[in-house]
Amino acid sequence: MARPKPTTGYVAPIALTAGLGLLACSVANALARGGSDPTLLYWAGILVISLPIFWRLTSREASTGERLALVCLLGLSLYIVKVVRDAPLFTFSDELVHAFNADQITNHHHLFRYNPILPVTPNYPGLEGATSALMGLTGMSSYAAGVIVVGAARLSLVIGLFLLFVRVSGSARTAGLAAAIYTGNFNFLFWGAQFSYESLALPLFVVLLMTVAERDAAPREWGRDWALPLVLGIAAIVVTHHLTSYAVAVFLALLAVVYWALRREWSWPNPWRYAVLAAVLAVGWLVLVANSTFGYLGPVIGEAFEAIFNTASGEAPPRGLFQGKGPSVPETPLAARGIALLAVALLAVGVFFGLRRFWRRYRKEPFAIIFAVASIAFFGTLVLRLAPAAWETGNRLSEYLFVGLAFIAAISGLHEWRPLQRAWLGRAAFTAALGVILVGGAIAGWPWDLQLSAPIRAKAEGRTISSPPLALAEWAAHNIPEEQRFGAGIADARMLMTPGEHIALAGKTPDIEDILKETELSDWELPLLREEGIRYIVADRREVASDATRGYAFTMRGDEPELLPLSTVTKFGSLPGAKRIYSSGDISVYKLGAPR
Amino acid sequence: MRGHGDLRLVAALALLCAALGLLIPIPGVAAIFAVPLALLLPGYAIAAAAFAQRQLEWALFFVLGIALSLAVLILGALLLNYVGGIHPLSWAVLLVAITFVACLVAARRRGPTDRGPRWPRPRLGALGTILLLGGVVAAIAAIVLSASTVPSGDAIGYTQLWILPQAGTKGHEAQVGVRSQQQASLDYDLRIKIGEDEVVKRSFRLAPGETHVVHVRAPAGSEGVLPVIATLLRHNRPTSVYRRVKGSLVAPGEPR
Repeated sequence: MARPKPTTGYVAPIALTAGLGLLACSVANALARGGSDPTLLYWAGILVISLPIFWRLTSREASTGERLALVCLLGLSLYIVKVVRDAPLFTFSDELVHAFNADQITNHHHLFRYNPILPVTPNYPGLEGATSALMGLTGMSSYAAGVIVVGAARLSLVIGLFLLFVRVSGSARTAGLAAAIYTGNFNFLFWGAQFSYESLALPLFVVLLMTVAERDAAPREWGRDWALPLVLGIAAIVVTHHLTSYAVAVFLALLAVVYWALRREWSWPNPWRYAVLAAVLAVGWLVLVANSTFGYLGPVIGEAFEAIFNTASGEAPPRGLFQGKGPSVPETPLAARGIALLAVALLAVGVFFGLRRFWRRYRKEPFAIIFAVASIAFFGTLVLRLAPAAWETGNRLSEYLFVGLAFIAAISGLHEWRPLQRAWLGRAAFTAALGVILVGGAIAGWPWDLQLSAPIRAKAEGRTISSPPLALAEWAAHNIPEEQRFGAGIADARMLMTPGEHIALAGKTPDIEDILKETELSDWELPLLREEGIRYIVADRREVASDATRGYAFTMRGDEPELLPLSTVTKFGSLPGAKRIYSSGDISVYKLGAPR
Repeated sequence: MRGHGDLRLVAALALLCAALGLLIPIPGVAAIFAVPLALLLPGYAIAAAAFAQRQLEWALFFVLGIALSLAVLILGALLLNYVGGIHPLSWAVLLVAITFVACLVAARRRGPTDRGPRWPRPRLGALGTILLLGGVVAAIAAIVLSASTVPSGDAIGYTQLWILPQAGTKGHEAQVGVRSQQQASLDYDLRIKIGEDEVVKRSFRLAPGETHVVHVRAPAGSEGVLPVIATLLRHNRPTSVYRRVKGSLVAPGEPR
């Protein structure tokens, strides 16, 4: 590996453009919170951050150190794009769940506390455990500590990718471009940057791959040196995230098989021992600690298979691309759809040429073989987007498969293209293509109407006012004893957990959703509420309250929400001893009578 | 650890960061010390111990430092969960102990030769430094702006009304709260009916974000549990009920 030299090259001016791009994104979000539509400014900000970096990464002159610095700058800047979207509050649905877990650990000094929304998450406490360290040592909130932990993970992700690609390709230029292509994965900008267990596990996964690749390239007598980092990495991933731990086991097993197929031996550097370790730890954790994972992942995977079958057999219509869940979700504009589809087309071209070069140059390299398979599999997962219950599975898989795709597309050599014998034209075209891939990936991976923030807090007459769900959570935090339980719609429930600091049940298990949406009460409902220990029920007439990604903000004038019938709220007044103790218009809280 | 400048520095920094992180009461300032302690130093020490007899590239060493620190936090939480609980002090002790032990192992394995990573010393020059600082300042401005609330004239304001038993009064007293989340100051009329009588009437003006709390108790001579109904009206619409909540009061002398 070429030693990174201390040449800074164009890092400083590009850091300035990245900072200005971030500022543009932040201004765009502030304008969006104020009710304007600064979409163009936002995307311009993203391109101001990324295009100078992409341009420099395509050059021949940049040193390894400069490329590494640029990759770090790109990864961290794009992470801050997510941070400036909604600081200083978590607003992604999973973030509120994990922040609740972190607060529980800090307040009660133990792991594995109960989580009513995603009961599986406390069984994988890696992220929240790590966050609790910073919370404890500093007194910071789960938001601040979580942003720092995920930021550190992001930094290790991009450095890990770069070093992995340097090791496998032997070229810092290819590695820089591959890392740049990786930022175009559908989940890089938002989903993968949220405070969620996968956001920590995936970077550890990539660093683990890098470590295995480095071990492979090292002399045999170094073998033992790699053992401790590898074992710690595998164990940490197993404790942090179910799917990533299985991905580690599968990847290492595949790698071991490929090594054997190429070299016909199981000895050094074949990583089969680590594959076995990963499998044993993942299964052991699943069975001994996290057996609720079966109930969590089983239906998701089962429904995905069923949806694929139904769609393929024509029993169910295919899911429309860029389609939200409800009629109130705005459509993605045609131009944005075009960019997203163009991004996929560009990736396909890159992979086509990349696979040709792979065959000529890398087909004896174990990592490159798996990357080639992953790059093809990625396009298979795109088909899953057509099946209603399978699109999310496909979307999540893309983060892992994109590691291979980024490598294969980067070795395509397309950045060497010299149209009209002018190298700069080829570089410009490649830079533009990277821009399209980044923007297109962001559009494909995150709903169009959620790219910019919505107002959850606002300034009025020099003071701060809060949106109805946030105000409810703040009221509960100040006025309702911590041990009292709520039943609520899924958006209100998440806010009641963080920052409301209460246990709030929502959704289908138990069936709070139907209790809230029906216009009359049935016989089974009060016993269920009592069985679950629910003392307060939050009745929210806003349809959007059942949307875990959109239900947190103010209603905007001219954009009034669809409302449930009034009787969905007032019916709770007929329960024995129930009283409406809180009202903010669309949201009411009923205190249920004590069981006799 | 004589001769191992990097290891001595890491061990000393771990101790210093732990002490200052715990002692400084301002979270933002404490983080300056706690972040390296949590996210770099233990991983650096473990990488130094694991690769004591090799010269790793600095970039590799750096990323292993972060990733192994994250692994230490993840697995450390698991350990603390079963050994005394997860407390600030136990975190500090654990992280310092791991860093110390790993530094000692690294020093022993290295022997007399110093095999720490060779860190790059990038030269930026005056212009480069100014540009870099400009980028940092712009990024900080972006974050500060994002954390600021801005006016949102199209956001539809509203008002909260609630009634709750007053803590510690066994239900003999209640508080009725009104909090404005409106875009502008508004005048309100609050009527509270206890039992059959309307006993409290309040008119007040609330600015956005302001709260008005009224404390009520059951009238003298009343008996049993009395229903309480709080009705909020906006001053400009005196005949239209804006919000209504219900509670109860336990009469004086009555057990709850």
